[in-house]
This record gives sequence, structure tokens and C-alpha cells, in this order.
Amino acid sequence: MMPPPCGRVVVVGRDAALWLATNVIRTALAPAGVTVTAVELPSRLEPADVHATLPPLEALHNQLRIEEAALLRAVGGAFTLGQNFADAGGAEPAFLHAYGAYGTAIDNQDFFAYWLKARGLGLPVGLEDFSLTAAAARQGRLLIPDDETEKYGRSDYGYHLPAAAYVRSLKGLAVHDGVTIHAADAIEVLRDGDRIEALAFDGQRIEGDLFVDATGEGLLIDALGTERESWRSYFPGDRMLVASGPKFGSIPAYAEIRAGSGGWTGLYPSQARSHVVHVYASSLCSDEEARRDAAENSGLALTDVDIQAVDPGMRTKAWAGNCVAIGAAAATFDPIHNVELHAVQLGLIHLLAFYPAGSDFSAERAEYNRLMRSSFERIRDFQAVHYRLNPYAGSAFWAQARQGDASPELAHTIALFQARGEIAPYEDESFSPDSWRTFFIGHGLVPDSYLPPIDRTPPETMKAQFRTMLGFVKEQVLRQPTHDAYLQTIARRGNG
Amino acid sequence: MMPTAPLKVVIVGGGTAGWMSAAGLVRLLASADYDLTLIESDEIGTVGVGEATLPHIKTFNDMLGINEAEFMRDTQATFKLGIEFVGWDKPGDAYIHPFGTFGEPWAGLDFQHHWTRAMLAGEDVGPLHDYSYAIEAANNAAFEFPNEDTKSIRSTYAYAYHFDAGLYANFLRGWAMARGVSRIEGQIVDVGRNAGSGHVETVTLKSGAVIAGDLFIDCSGFRSLLLGQTMGVAWQDWSEWLPCDRAFAVPCARTEPLLPYTRATAQPGGWIWRIGLQHRTGNGHVFSSAFCSEDQARETLLGQLDGAALAEPRLLRFQAGRRAKAWEGNVIGIGLAGGFLEPLESTSIFLIQAAVTDLANLMPTRGGIDRRLADEYNRLFEVHYDRTRDFIVLHYCANRREGEPLWDHVRNMRLPDSLAHKIALFEANAAAPDYKYGLFSRDSWLAVLVGQGIVPRGYNRLADSLTLDELGSKLRDLKRRIRTNAAAMTGHGDFIANYCPAPTAAKPMESAA
Repeated sequence: MMPPPCGRVVVVGRDAALWLATNVIRTALAPAGVTVTAVELPSRLEPADVHATLPPLEALHNQLRIEEAALLRAVGGAFTLGQNFADAGGAEPAFLHAYGAYGTAIDNQDFFAYWLKARGLGLPVGLEDFSLTAAAARQGRLLIPDDETEKYGRSDYGYHLPAAAYVRSLKGLAVHDGVTIHAADAIEVLRDGDRIEALAFDGQRIEGDLFVDATGEGLLIDALGTERESWRSYFPGDRMLVASGPKFGSIPAYAEIRAGSGGWTGLYPSQARSHVVHVYASSLCSDEEARRDAAENSGLALTDVDIQAVDPGMRTKAWAGNCVAIGAAAATFDPIHNVELHAVQLGLIHLLAFYPAGSDFSAERAEYNRLMRSSFERIRDFQAVHYRLNPYAGSAFWAQARQGDASPELAHTIALFQARGEIAPYEDESFSPDSWRTFFIGHGLVPDSYLPPIDRTPPETMKAQFRTMLGFVKEQVLRQPTHDAYLQTIARRGNG
Repeated sequence: MMPTAPLKVVIVGGGTAGWMSAAGLVRLLASADYDLTLIESDEIGTVGVGEATLPHIKTFNDMLGINEAEFMRDTQATFKLGIEFVGWDKPGDAYIHPFGTFGEPWAGLDFQHHWTRAMLAGEDVGPLHDYSYAIEAANNAAFEFPNEDTKSIRSTYAYAYHFDAGLYANFLRGWAMARGVSRIEGQIVDVGRNAGSGHVETVTLKSGAVIAGDLFIDCSGFRSLLLGQTMGVAWQDWSEWLPCDRAFAVPCARTEPLLPYTRATAQPGGWIWRIGLQHRTGNGHVFSSAFCSEDQARETLLGQLDGAALAEPRLLRFQAGRRAKAWEGNVIGIGLAGGFLEPLESTSIFLIQAAVTDLANLMPTRGGIDRRLADEYNRLFEVHYDRTRDFIVLHYCANRREGEPLWDHVRNMRLPDSLAHKIALFEANAAAPDYKYGLFSRDSWLAVLVGQGIVPRGYNRLADSLTLDELGSKLRDLKRRIRTNAAAMTGHGDFIANYCPAPTAAKPMESAA
């Protein structure tokens, strides 16, 4: 076998990004003779931190042979079918961003256009009533996909994983697999021109061919002088409070995001507690006020309170020289929609796709940087929709949010939706058209028209299909286990 | 929608683009909302050389609900499994770009990485093109419909058609008129515009008739009567990358066996197409007038026919490029009125089809023209044309025909950055372009990248999860499955004779509208 061109990988960092990177690269490239060394910096996690995850993470866990039930048992995690966006003041109706399809195609055309048409004709049924996932979430049930539901549409889920326990679990995997692990309080980056030659810490020196920066702040990629561009103008919040609250009696199968006058408060239930996140703008609100807002909006007695800065933006190059920044070192996002681990996952998947195949890997690096920029910008634009289009009145925070920037792609996406209800297709998109539409509709945009070809479908056919869908959703959801019951089954299996 | 008069859509020009637009829109749009009229003139010939298609055409025909055998009989059609490129890398070489996949993904990784790995390890794995079922079938001059069982090697391809484009336009004319499209015979002599908006309001015919419309679809061909001439939308010239600007076309007698693929043979000054239909073979010589005179080009073409010429060679002049926008005001250019790419990869009809589908979805309602819809239409138009352009340029730039001025020129020209990057990436780690929107799949890119002699120097190391021995036996097994299954297929000529035999005394293509 040809020796691998970048055979020695050194992953430096902390917490989930460090251990996901270590495990993913090791598992995928060990057969090629690639060795991975992990250098662990002190954790930054707080007891209340949670990783609310998006559906694709399950596939990454599968690659790592992480079994779902065992993971949820070990970390006390819960399922999440989506996020409910509510107005703490109660003026605006709530809507659920479910991780599944809304409706099923009629005459090979997207459901959404039919719904728009029907709504224009007075149909009083909301979009989410056509979603298996949303309906299940509302009823405290899961939606375990099978052939029948798959035919109807996608039904996915994410998790609420208490962060510290999840990280322990990931680290355990690396230890089990025999990865060489060094602990360091601080590191010194030793450069050789535009590449990193080695790291020094505690009198040790670790050499490598490829360095993965999972430090969060980007200690390695910074040393190579890469620039960072700010996305602050897109997002109103610059501070985040995290806290714990007591567990819910019955554990909801979704998160709830409540818009308050000073910002938003997210509630993410796991098995043993409720994780609370509160995002606000320091220019409009003091930390003390934020504590009160978080407690009031969540309605919970909060403990383990910690306050952190939020500063969205990305490196102009996630891969510079022989250093690849993964996760927050490459891009930091607004806390809305919980894209943090998804960004780690995208970085790793693309790194595996464009891992250096030879000693000159400038083409791979260029492709990686092109893809990461495009992927990150699409995520940023998706996040910005919730702020830019928010209808929440009487709040300086939400008024400021409406003034947020929009990239040309986002402005065009909004304009096209407003005109026709369609989502402009772009490459490297993480969120489905259904997800985009959930926010446009949820925030009250009413498209001026719908896809003309659907007028070929006779109205009776459309009505009959709608009735069939609503019946199907009702029937399927009733067959599903409740979230509580399912978590108990998982727990019992562990004992048995 | 509002119960007012339907939106009046006027299609200007009745060739392939005009009648595909008319048929597509009358099928996709509700008749109460849109009134479709097509103006064509018997005095204006159509280009009508677009005889080879891509597999997408089947989706279009299926959408219309057209019976395949009937359509094939009526258009003298044959099946097409790909395109053979002869002499494009260097004289004497040939490869097929198949409408199918190469190999299978193993260990979650695309096939070409495994093939590249084995090749670089010095294993005797043969060319990548040995691992395509469609190529094996094409080489056997065989045809059958793809198997629906996706696990079968016989499911790993799609097919398109060769047909007489004039007859196809005729076929669609009958189809569309039966469904309510009005046809007006006449030549346009004047265009009336709104003084304020600049929108086209009327066209006046030679007869004096004035046709009014809310929306005009310009299918007038190279003239680009409304989009280019009236609306003044600028032309983006791509001849810096695609210097061919002329073609001679000539039909000749059919030869046996009936090949289920198009052939494109490189020439010193361009290339020659060969498309086998049921009643004749279509031929043409696309050339660059900067490198080859018209007389030379004509002689070269006639000297390479494999059957008796059935007509005098006809000359076409063109330039590669596209309009800056396809939709301006209330005018939309479809087909040659919007852009032109030489027929090397049979993209003309696909580009029309994509335009019609996009237009149906972005069609104005009776509320009037909406800039936001036009913006999206133009964005998609750019994606389609620009990605197709890069793919076609690849055939030229990666050549080893040293010492031939045209080929030296295209080998040394500065490439679009988007293409240079794709080539560099494939050379580095065998990754093939894999975008979601726009023409040409990863397998198509692979066929041409490898076919043009570009050899990757590395591969994705995830491939190392198989041992070389395992890989060797999987490769041998795959080759064997391809050979044995393809050997059992029916000959293409027999398949056609059985499935969709056309009348032998068909009209020659020049009679088509």
C-alpha cells in the first residue's frame, strides 16, 4: 500500500469538536495507515450546556458505531422532533419547525403549493397538521419511521445531549480505540513558513503532517494568520446565558424557543433536567436583566447560570497550510437552530472527502475552503430568516433583529418566496425547502402566488388528497410510542 | 386565480424550441389561465440539426404523456446510450461518454477512487470505461430497456434518442395544437413596444395582422428577434473557449449495424458528428473558420461519409455564448435565441426542456410581470448554460493533438476558473464534480476527464478500507457481470425493427417546418 501522504494527524482542542474529529478521522483513515494523536485542552463546558442536534448527526454516530439507545442511556439524552417557536407575550401564534416533511406530493408536485392554494381558498388547516413529525411532537410522541411513513415523507429527529456527558462518552470511544491522548493546559504553535511543524506543551513536542484545530477560538489557524470575517450585522444577540432548570414531568419531544422582549429563551429538555439558553443584546440589556428575563420566560427556577459571549463569523479559510479548523475554530454561529455540531460534522465529512491524496494538496484545500464557505453561508442565511422576518412587536431586540443584514442570496430567497412560495435552490444547503418555508409561513409571509402547474389538478382531487393525508397523520401518530415510554424502554434495555 | 381574461402568451418561432415550449406549457398550465399562440413562417427554415438528445428528454415526453413507440416511429428515432469521442485525446484514441454509471460505490465511496487506487498500485485493472454497462452495450450495438431492479447491473444506465428534429417539431405541433395551442402562419415584420415599460405589446405580420400578447417567448433562433434585437439584451461571447463557429450538415444513407450511440470524430479544424436514424444517418462538420476554410470543411465532411450523401451539405454560422439574461421585461428567449453551444454533448434540446420547465414554474400570473420571478429564471438559466459550457470546453482543452493549430490553441487557452479548479481537483484526488443543479452528473464528468487522458495521481484514502485482494476480486466480478449481461442483449437494429419501425419512405429533414 502507498504510504498516506498526511499520515500523522494531530487533533488539538477541547470538548465535542475535539473528540468527534479524533474519532471520525481515526475510524475512517486507520485502514489507510493514518495515525491520530489527540491533544486535549481544558474543557469550556458548563454543567448546564446541552448539545441540541440536527438529524444528520445520527449518520455520523453510525459511522462511529455509536449505538443510539446506549448513548441516550449513558448521557441521559432525549429525542427532539423539532423546535416550537412561541411568543412569550402570546401575541403571535406558535409554529413548529419539525425535522420532517410537511405533506406529501400530489400529481408529482410539491405539497406546499397546494396548501398555499387551499389556504387562499379558505382552508383553515395549518401546515404543521400535515407533518407526521410535528403532529407527533405536539402529542408527546416520537415518530419512528417505517416504509409507510417514508412513502409519505421524511420523518427525522435530533437529540438533546447533556454536553459534558456526551463529551465523556466520545472521549471514552477514543480511549477504547487506543488513541494517543495528551492533556495540555496551553500549547505553543511551532511554524515552518505557512505550515505548522509541531506543537510544544509541558516540555513535549508533537510533530504532525496535518493539524486539526478544534480549539474553539482557533489557536492553530490563528497562528497561520488567517482572517476572520464577522457576521455580527446579521444577528442581534451578542450574549448568551445558559442555565439548568428542573426536569419536566413528562419530557417533551421537542425544544421550545420563546421570543421575549429582551431576546429569546430556549428550553431543551433532557432526561434529568431542562437546559435553558437565553440570547440577548448587551447594548439593550444588562446581564442582571437577562437573568430575570430567562427565569421569567422559562418559568423555571434556574441554577448553574453562566454567561458567554456570542460572536458569529467565519474564517476566510477554514483550511490554511496544513491546518484544518473544525467547528467553532472555523465558524461560530448564532445559537438559534443549534447548528454547532452540524458545522463540526460538515467540516469532518468534507475533510474526509478531500483528505490530502498527495504531498501537494492545494487543490483539495481549495475545494474544501470553497465548500465550507458555501455551506456555512447557507446556514447563516437560514438562521438570519428567523430574525429578519420576525413579527414580535414592542421589543427593541426584535426591532433591531428586523434590521439585520441579508446576503444577496438570502434577499433573493425571501423575494422569490414572497412572489411564488418557492425556495430558490442553492448548492451546499443544510436545511430543506420545508424548513425554510416553516419560518417564512411561521412569521406570517403570504406568497403572492403559487406554482401555476398545480392548477391542472382538479380541486376535488386536491381536497380528497388533503383528507387522506390528515387521516393518515392522525392514524400514524396514534400508533407511535410516547417519548416518555420510549425513553423508559431504552432505560430498561440497559438494565436487562 | 382571478376570473379575468387568460394571460396571452405568444411564442415566436416554430422549430424545436417553439414547439417544445408550446407543448410543455399547454401540458403544464391550466387552459383557463393561459392562452397560447405560436407564430411560425414556412418561409423561414429551422436549424433542425439537433438530432441527438440526452436521457432527460424521456422525462419531458413522459410528462407530456407521449407514447414512446409512436413518437419514435414518427420521428425515425433510434436509441442512444452515449457518445463516442474519436481522436479527441489524440488521433487513434476513442472513448464513450455513457448515459450510465461507472461501477458501484463500495465502502461508501465512489467507484473511481477504488479504480484509481488499483491502477496506481500497478494492478492490471484496465481502463475505467470497462466498468460501464452502458459502454459495453453500446460497443455491442445492443439495446434493451434498463432493468427496474436497482440491484441489477442492467439498471445502471439510462437512454436517450436520436431523431429527426424537424419531425419531432412536427410531432409536437400536432400534439400541442390538439390541446389548444393556436398556430398562426406568418413572418414578423414589426414589433410594437410600450413606450413606458419597454415591454413588447404586439408583433405585426407581413400580412398586416397584429398579434397582441402579455408575454412573448422568443424562439426565433439565432436571430433572437425579440430578446436580442428588440430588447437589446447583450450577448456574451464564449468563442475564446469554443472557437468553432460554422457547421456543414448533410444526411447520408443508413449503414449497418445501427449504432446506439452518437459518434463525434475530432478533425484538424473541428469535429464531425454522426447520428444514425432509422431512415438515414445525420452527419455534420463543426469547425472553426479561423483554422479551417469552408471549402476544406465541406470536403472533409463529404470524404468521411459512410453512406451515399442524400443532399447537398448545408452551411450554418454561429457563435458560442449566451445572452446576459434569458428573461428581460416580458420577453423570454428559449433555444438559440437565448444561447448557443455546439452540439458536442447534445445539450440544445435539454436546455430548451429545462427552460420550459423552469418557465412553467415561474410563469407570470394575470397580476403582470414579476421581476422576482424573472430574477430566479435568469439565475437558473446561468447555472444551466455555464455548467454545460465548462463540460464542453473540457473536451477541447484536455487534448494531446500536438502540432494541430486549433488543438494547440485550445490546449493552451486560459480556462474558466470554475473548470480549471475541477480538473486540478480530479488530478489531485480523483474527485469528480458533484453539483446538484445544472447539467452533467459526476459519471459524465468522469467519462470525459478520464477519456481525455487525465490521470489522477491520488485517490480518496477511504478506499484503503478494502484490501487490494478484495478490491481485485470485486473489480473482476464487476467486469464479468457487465460482460455476461451485456452479451445477452438484443441487437439495437432488431430491437428498433420490433419496437418502433418507421415507414421507410420518410420525408427528408429539409421538409420539416
